[in-house]
Amino acid sequence: MKLGIISFAHGHAYSYAKIIKKQKGLELAGIYDDDAARGLGAARHFKTTFYRHLPQLLQSTIDAVIVTSENAKHAEHVIAAARAKKSILCEKPIATTLKDAKEMIFCCEENNVSLKIAFPVRYNTPVKRARAIVKSGGLGRILAVKGTNRGTNPGGWFLKKELSGGGAAMDHTVHVVDLLRWFMGAEIKGVYAEIGNLLINEAIDDSGIVTMDFDNGAFATLDFSWSRNNNYPTWGDVTLEIIGTGGTLSVNAFDQKLELYSDTDGISWNFWGDDMNTAMLLDFTNAIKKGQKPAITGHDGLKALEAALCAYESAERGVPVTPRIFQIDWVK
Amino acid sequence: MLRVLVVGAGTMGGVHARAYKSLHGVELAGIVDPRVEKAEALAVNSSAKVFSGFDEAAAKLKNLDVIDICLPTHLHKEYVLKSVQLTKNIICEKPLARSLEEAREMIEVCGKKSVRLFVAHVVRFFPEYKRIRSLLDKGKIGSPAVVRTTRGGAFPKAWENWYGDPSKSGGLILDLLLHDFDFLRSCFGEVKRVFAKTLKREEASKEMIDYALVTLRFQSGVIAHLEGTWAHQNFSYGIEIAGRDGIIEYDSKKISPLSYQPRNKKSGAGGVKVPESPLASSPYREELKHFIECIISGKEPLVTVLDAYRAMEIAMAAIISTENGLPVTLGGHSEKGG
Repeated sequence: MKLGIISFAHGHAYSYAKIIKKQKGLELAGIYDDDAARGLGAARHFKTTFYRHLPQLLQSTIDAVIVTSENAKHAEHVIAAARAKKSILCEKPIATTLKDAKEMIFCCEENNVSLKIAFPVRYNTPVKRARAIVKSGGLGRILAVKGTNRGTNPGGWFLKKELSGGGAAMDHTVHVVDLLRWFMGAEIKGVYAEIGNLLINEAIDDSGIVTMDFDNGAFATLDFSWSRNNNYPTWGDVTLEIIGTGGTLSVNAFDQKLELYSDTDGISWNFWGDDMNTAMLLDFTNAIKKGQKPAITGHDGLKALEAALCAYESAERGVPVTPRIFQIDWVK
Repeated sequence: MLRVLVVGAGTMGGVHARAYKSLHGVELAGIVDPRVEKAEALAVNSSAKVFSGFDEAAAKLKNLDVIDICLPTHLHKEYVLKSVQLTKNIICEKPLARSLEEAREMIEVCGKKSVRLFVAHVVRFFPEYKRIRSLLDKGKIGSPAVVRTTRGGAFPKAWENWYGDPSKSGGLILDLLLHDFDFLRSCFGEVKRVFAKTLKREEASKEMIDYALVTLRFQSGVIAHLEGTWAHQNFSYGIEIAGRDGIIEYDSKKISPLSYQPRNKKSGAGGVKVPESPLASSPYREELKHFIECIISGKEPLVTVLDAYRAMEIAMAAIISTENGLPVTLGGHSEKGG
């Protein structure tokens, strides 16, 4: 299967490219990037073709594309790929506005193209095991969840709202919201957030806590802060502490680690668990081969984005916000 | 010698009575509990007299310097008000009272009678928390931004299950999270806004668990997230503070200075593992030692009755938030945390 990558703006593009190069049966057939120097560099590094114009990549013989451009450009790139009938894996968040997200979903449906949103934590093995325990009824009914998805300040375009759509709340709300929806099969009915610009010099949100009410009666909080400093032993985390009527469960997605004390590199945590990005990418390509629906849909991406946008609205208005229930108005 | 009467021989009364027995310049004069056998067990190796009721102790014991109230929360006011007739110094377990109204009345009466009231917010005396404050003061992690705390374990078992009755204990938010409200306020100043979620009452009592997640916004901008749990198995507590230049993390589950596991020879299976964090002087003993020093010297304690009241205000705001689903804004105080 031939894959193209649209933009290396997001660092995950390099991770995905490396995985594609390693997998038999997958070929990195071309790269487009609106930053030609960056795209050329990546194409040289991964020994593939660089296309100066997106239509050139989309008209080539590729089967699918991975969209790893700046968040605000996802819509333009996904819509172009959908019109060219290419299957799509789109980096999270799906977009920066609900209007863009809806248009992307609509365009993919109209062109009968599969759109998957990159929520790789669904493919983390301890997280999958946790969900299996929940789904088997091992926790009884879920009453509350305490989540974290902290990270380091990603810098670059992530700090420019017109490209990223927002700071830490936009970057780190969507992963855990997706997990919560996936674990509970429930939807958010209320969002409250405290958001701060307390850690970095640039004027963008870098810290905060969001509290969510779900329609199954459970509540959850999430710390989405870019609060891991340079000397912290790792980049960040994804954790869930789940309280159920039948017990408690705590999952730490990246806790399968060694503690490394190096005189040259300092102290760090060295992760040895299964690679979730490989699992996600293979599930993406396998679903295309089999003509199956993607495991994580554009709708999942939209619901996660909606939560992040509600968090901003709540912090601005100082009250809990109810997500407007989306009518499926893109179905004619 | 300062003569102390301990009222209540439950868990905290036991901890306090044992501490008094080891403190110089303190005489454990009496212990009150209707469960006389519990009081008698604590009186061993001391000259303490045992009473089944407070009034009997009041009639028989003279020259009491300190009365230490270790009773369920809903009884604090009644016994503090009784004690002001008998002593000039009262030590009261936290929370100071079941309601702010009760707390105000207690503070007012003590003020009028010139009785000093000390509230046992023991977390201030835990060496790890004292060290956190000193690291913050030294600027080791720069300006603080996001704080996370956790505290709790199994649902507490006590006399007539008073913890399980919110009208007596105030529930998990007032009883347990109060520790963290007080400590965080002592580090980061006054709280501006509180938002909180907890289990539905009927759910909590049916399952004999409780759980709360609270978000605080301080006037300084600091954001804090607190977890209080009576839904887990083993007691633990932790705190993490992320600042602009660093992070302080503490998790009692992750430190293991001593863990003792006797082998059960009869069954061949392992016995219960008992973790310990031994200190030459326990935080409870350090707390009471400090209060006794303050009583002798007349100086202000590390944690004042106003601090105790302010911590209760945060707890009450959190409880209101869990009831109405809205953030609760606290009245602006100018006083800085003690």
